[in-house]
Amino acid sequence: MAGKGAATPATYSPSLTTVKGKKKPPIFADDANWVRSDGRHFHQCRPAFLRTNAVNSASGSAYAEFGNTKVIVSVFGPRESKKAMMYSDVGRLNCNVSYTTFATVHRNQGSDSKELSSMLYKALEGAIILESFPKTTVDVFALVLESGGSDLPVIISCASLALADAGILLYDLVAAVSVSCLGKNLVIDPILEEESHQDGSFMISCMPSRNEVTQLTVTGEWSTPKISEAMELCLDACSKLAKIMRSSLREPLSASEE
Amino acid sequence: MVGLSVGEKHFIKGGIEQDLRTDGRKRYTYRPIYVETGVIPQANGSARVKLGATDVIASVKAELGKPSPSYPDKGKVLINVDCSPTAEPAFEGRGGEELSSELSVALQRCLLGGKSGAGAGIDLSSLSIVEGKICWDLYIEGLVVSSDGNLLDALGAAVKAALSNTALPKVQVASAASDEQPEVDLSDEEFLQFDTSGIPAIITLTKVGKHYIVDGTSEEESQMSSAVSVSVNKQGRICGLTKRGGAGLNPSVILDMISVSKHLSEQLINKLDSEIAAAEACEEDEF
Repeated sequence: MAGKGAATPATYSPSLTTVKGKKKPPIFADDANWVRSDGRHFHQCRPAFLRTNAVNSASGSAYAEFGNTKVIVSVFGPRESKKAMMYSDVGRLNCNVSYTTFATVHRNQGSDSKELSSMLYKALEGAIILESFPKTTVDVFALVLESGGSDLPVIISCASLALADAGILLYDLVAAVSVSCLGKNLVIDPILEEESHQDGSFMISCMPSRNEVTQLTVTGEWSTPKISEAMELCLDACSKLAKIMRSSLREPLSASEE
Repeated sequence: MVGLSVGEKHFIKGGIEQDLRTDGRKRYTYRPIYVETGVIPQANGSARVKLGATDVIASVKAELGKPSPSYPDKGKVLINVDCSPTAEPAFEGRGGEELSSELSVALQRCLLGGKSGAGAGIDLSSLSIVEGKICWDLYIEGLVVSSDGNLLDALGAAVKAALSNTALPKVQVASAASDEQPEVDLSDEEFLQFDTSGIPAIITLTKVGKHYIVDGTSEEESQMSSAVSVSVNKQGRICGLTKRGGAGLNPSVILDMISVSKHLSEQLINKLDSEIAAAEACEEDEF
């Protein structure tokens, strides 16, 4: 596991100017002056550490570490589709997300991996040029090593990085970010503790250069202006995350040139 | 799945562009909704909803259970959808599993709100009997009997109707020592009717070409590029949103879809409420 201090890219923080002036008064439960436990602002994401080529035996792979959320994704393919599958003139995507038993606070708590697998599939299918590999399947296997909150967005971003590392043709990199609603505050990139107290969550995964949203899920009660605000925040964060992802793809090249 | 010829596909897409769909509806018109409650006497509550040719049944069973340790003052609600092979032969065995889990997750998202319980259609703390020891476990099961598009909206309406039909038996708790499991006595007469005014309605907008339609048939849905299902409650607040379909959507399009669905939700919620009330009245007349 590469050290966190070593080559961490600069933190990405959506500019506070999107909040139109007022700094949000921290109102959260009983705390009068609530500050996030890791000292971040409400609209500041965790520093992102991304590395490609984490797994040598895979066609492409990536490792992502966002605070305490650590995910490793391997991509295998395109390879021959399984036995009984029908002929298809577009490629197939198969996604699988699993949690290690030590990923969560209590052992074996990550049981909704089937739901996450289908959400990962939906987030990625719009980005892959499936026509480029007919009759074959691309397998994406995600393993969550430690679950520290905001798991699915990290998995999606890491998976799209792994796909790019594998050389699969993509329309664009997919970056994903989630926002939690705590009382009246919108908190971006929540940690596990913030997620368990949230009043609502808003997760978006998008292709920033094409300005297209591939996956959007909202839970909890939201008013329309709040949704627009959350969407603006997320799209801004996604475009910055995509820039960091691109630079991490270029790093091995610049290292080998030296 | 209906096979469509190229001509039929053009016809459907062209019609939607001109605000005249194949069955004569406008883009934002629902098919006639038919609600029947109390269809499964053995369940605590049940309902059947027909939306054109789409036919779904929802049933609610309540059992006594232990609350989860992280939320000792809340009951539990588990929502599960099953797609029966009678709807489509492809649903036999594991075929319908993907669609069932997608529908279950979407329903859970729309009805259960955030983790802290805010925005939930069902108030979980009303299901608690003895804090930390006994609570009601609600098992909400949806069954797709016949599928002709717009399953999620029909299931949402059926769950709403089933919950308004649900009657939980009154519980008498015999006092016990603090570490013993208290004795619980279920009376045979039912009451605790659910307050379903907080339950949101789900509106699915299907994007075909540049326009969105509401309540698509399975033919129209096969032509969709993507669909957004928004759940809106009576106060006009959004309680859940799911995007389906492979194509990407521009964020401004999503915001527009949200405002359209908010506008449509008022009519739908009023329609549903009146249909459910009529169905309940019908049921009482039978006795």
